[in-house]
Amino acid sequence: MKLARPKKRAHPETIIALIDVVFFLLVFFMLIGRMDATAPFAVVPPVAQSGADMPGGGATVSVAADGGLALDGRAVDQAGLLGALAARLGEEPGLLVRINADGAAPLRRLLPLAGEIEALGARDVVLVVTPEPVR
Amino acid sequence: MRLTSREPARSPITLVPMIDVLMIMLVFFMVTSTYLDLDMIPMAERREEAPVAGPGGGGARLLIRLGADGRAHLSGQVLAPDAVGAAIAARLAAAPDLEVIVLPSGGADVQALVSLMDASVAAGAGRVRIVRLEASP
Repeated sequence: MKLARPKKRAHPETIIALIDVVFFLLVFFMLIGRMDATAPFAVVPPVAQSGADMPGGGATVSVAADGGLALDGRAVDQAGLLGALAARLGEEPGLLVRINADGAAPLRRLLPLAGEIEALGARDVVLVVTPEPVR
Repeated sequence: MRLTSREPARSPITLVPMIDVLMIMLVFFMVTSTYLDLDMIPMAERREEAPVAGPGGGGARLLIRLGADGRAHLSGQVLAPDAVGAAIAARLAAAPDLEVIVLPSGGADVQALVSLMDASVAAGAGRVRIVRLEASP
């Protein structure tokens, strides 16, 4: 009589390693990404090497190449933008206002806008730049 | 004799839902985050840092006009983009506290202004100011 050896059962794949990898990826993407409100139009920030690190938070004003405006990702007109900013500055006087202007936007649109935001009482108005050209 | 009923065996906690949640969070962060390296340039002068302007006060000043075509003009002459830094550095050698004043045309684009400010800072100018002309009411 010939007895057949029982076949060895393959070990089930452990999913602990998969969880580890997914968790590391999650932490990685949470750390390197920024959860900023994106403008409803394309904005390619100007390139500058002398910029300083940008802190998080604050209000983001986006200016498109054709002069379109958005506040925190929502398209607004200039009167609505200034009204909303005035209300937020009333609640939080030290509010950081970031102007995320397209590199091709005309200065006749940007500079008066920055002046009006400053006239609302904003003490921190910064222009968003990038150290490397956006491809 | 007393028979006790056996406690039902607890089913082990499955890890599959946890992986599902982690995967959904991972995809969410990958899709909604932006990965641009962003910096900032201050545009408004803080009140406490603003120098008191007085007639005839302050040190040397250098006025650079930025034309609508994005080219810098110094003393009536057009400067090549790579010559702006050298021109400012030469003036800074004579006057270390030089203040660079940029008068941009409204037709120039943001990139031209930022490049000019970048060249000024790279040349060593510590004080760069933008002025603009406003229409009289």
